[in-house]
Amino acid sequence: MTAAIRTTALTKAYGDKHALDSMDLVVEEGSIFGFLGPNGAGKTTTLHLLTGLARPTSGSVQVLGHDVASVGNSIRAEIGFLPDVPGFYEWMTAEDFLRFAGGLFGIGHRVLDERLEMLLDLAGLGGVTTKIGGYSRGMKQRLGVAQALINAPKLLLLDEPTSALDPMGRKDVLDMLTTLRGRTTVFFSTHILADVQRVCDTVAILDLGRVVAQAPIDELKARYGQQKVMVEVTDGADELAEEIGRQTWATTVTRGSNGAIEITVKDVGAAQLQIPAMVAARQIGLSRMDAGEMGLEEVFVELVGGDRR
Amino acid sequence: MSGTAVFARKEVREILRTWRIWVLPGILLFFAFTGPVLAKLTPEIVGALAADQLGGLKIPTPTYLDAYAQWIKNLSQIGLFALIIIYGSIVSGESKSGTAVLVLTKPVSRTAFIIAKATVHSAFLAILVVIGTLVTWGLTAAVFREAPGSALWSSALVWLVFGLLFIALMTLLSVLIGSAAGAAGAGLGAYALMSIAAIWKPLGTYSPAALAAQPAALAAGKDAAVLWPVLTSILLAVVLVVFAALAFRGKDL
Repeated sequence: MTAAIRTTALTKAYGDKHALDSMDLVVEEGSIFGFLGPNGAGKTTTLHLLTGLARPTSGSVQVLGHDVASVGNSIRAEIGFLPDVPGFYEWMTAEDFLRFAGGLFGIGHRVLDERLEMLLDLAGLGGVTTKIGGYSRGMKQRLGVAQALINAPKLLLLDEPTSALDPMGRKDVLDMLTTLRGRTTVFFSTHILADVQRVCDTVAILDLGRVVAQAPIDELKARYGQQKVMVEVTDGADELAEEIGRQTWATTVTRGSNGAIEITVKDVGAAQLQIPAMVAARQIGLSRMDAGEMGLEEVFVELVGGDRR
Repeated sequence: MSGTAVFARKEVREILRTWRIWVLPGILLFFAFTGPVLAKLTPEIVGALAADQLGGLKIPTPTYLDAYAQWIKNLSQIGLFALIIIYGSIVSGESKSGTAVLVLTKPVSRTAFIIAKATVHSAFLAILVVIGTLVTWGLTAAVFREAPGSALWSSALVWLVFGLLFIALMTLLSVLIGSAAGAAGAGLGAYALMSIAAIWKPLGTYSPAALAAQPAALAAGKDAAVLWPVLTSILLAVVLVVFAALAFRGKDL
């Protein structure tokens, strides 16, 4: 499979500050790729470099096999882009803008008419004749998604596409992205982990301008996400936590309120066997014991160090 | 239709459907309609307001040349200042509002973006100047019973070249300076510099600076050698648009 996006040692500096720092990234064609990162990680900068809106300080950006710096209109004809805060001509209606956007791609009238109807429905703006200047942020965001799809792009680049949407609008956009799987490469930046978990097959996590992890979601969770055991005992939780902490299969032990203990483990089977035995040996009651995988959110926090911000 | 033509058509529709259709046309048409009448009535107005202070001084009877001079003076001062202020955001307005991002991630090059804007707004100014001059000409004929065309049209067309030079200049300044007010301030500064530079004879004869004063001379029915200033102004306008396109291509959005 070929790469829809490939960046090599991509660096973007604004004065002394590195927004991106030697970033290597590969996005396979046909994937729905989640680009995760906390605010200020460099997500929007990356998208601006991918679309040619900004120039790299060093390194290279290839999109659909072409170097972004050296190709012009031909590559942009294959891309759909939604910025984080889309700016529209406020004197236009949604239909005006979609016709204008379609015209820039040179789409013929018949095809444009068909797409217009479908995309206005998708954006929930069918029959809305008011000017864009009177739209809410959510309406503008939905129109932004629609205009990004007007050319049936090979590569769809979306910057925080669901951030301004209500739950229904968010669901519609995510469902629409799911329908594009296999036909269009979708690359979207977000800090909403639930969106990534819901639609993406592959994810990269960006922090301080560097990709700290990139893999299919399941692989990422398996690689970084250790399993977790929650225990709650009736008495002697501190002593039990201390004993668990000495076991080789336990990575971290955290005391919760009352008798709760949270343990991340390397071998969940060993933990499930030995914890009840320890509880029985201490002659205390076991109120609760659950074992489960860490979610993407916990992987994310672990990788970007949530508590240092 | 190419992306460039579609974008140029958007510029035309933006002029027709926003404040742009009211402000500059409103200013120029106001002066075109009132100029000849004011020129005709000036002696009466001055006489009524300041008869005591004039003593025995007699105000000359106004002629069609006064109406022409009024039109060109208004174009050269308020018209030019309005143009500079209005076009201070010709490019930066789109960069700031985010519309440039949506356009330039589609098959429209940055060069085409700049050239389409400069071309459409130059054509808009040309249409306004022609309409305003026609109105001035017609009203002058009605008010003064004579209105030979050569002095009016030669002065208006020479001023138009000066106006087009300033559209090109504002396009460049609006690329270089993100603030509309900053670009307008720089444009006004450029006008002041050109007016001063025209005092030095070589610049006042051959350079675009000559066009700051020559339209008024032509409107007064005097001879003025405008060939070189017109040619150098057109050349400079083209160079400014090329620089604007180059600067815009190198800019992060």
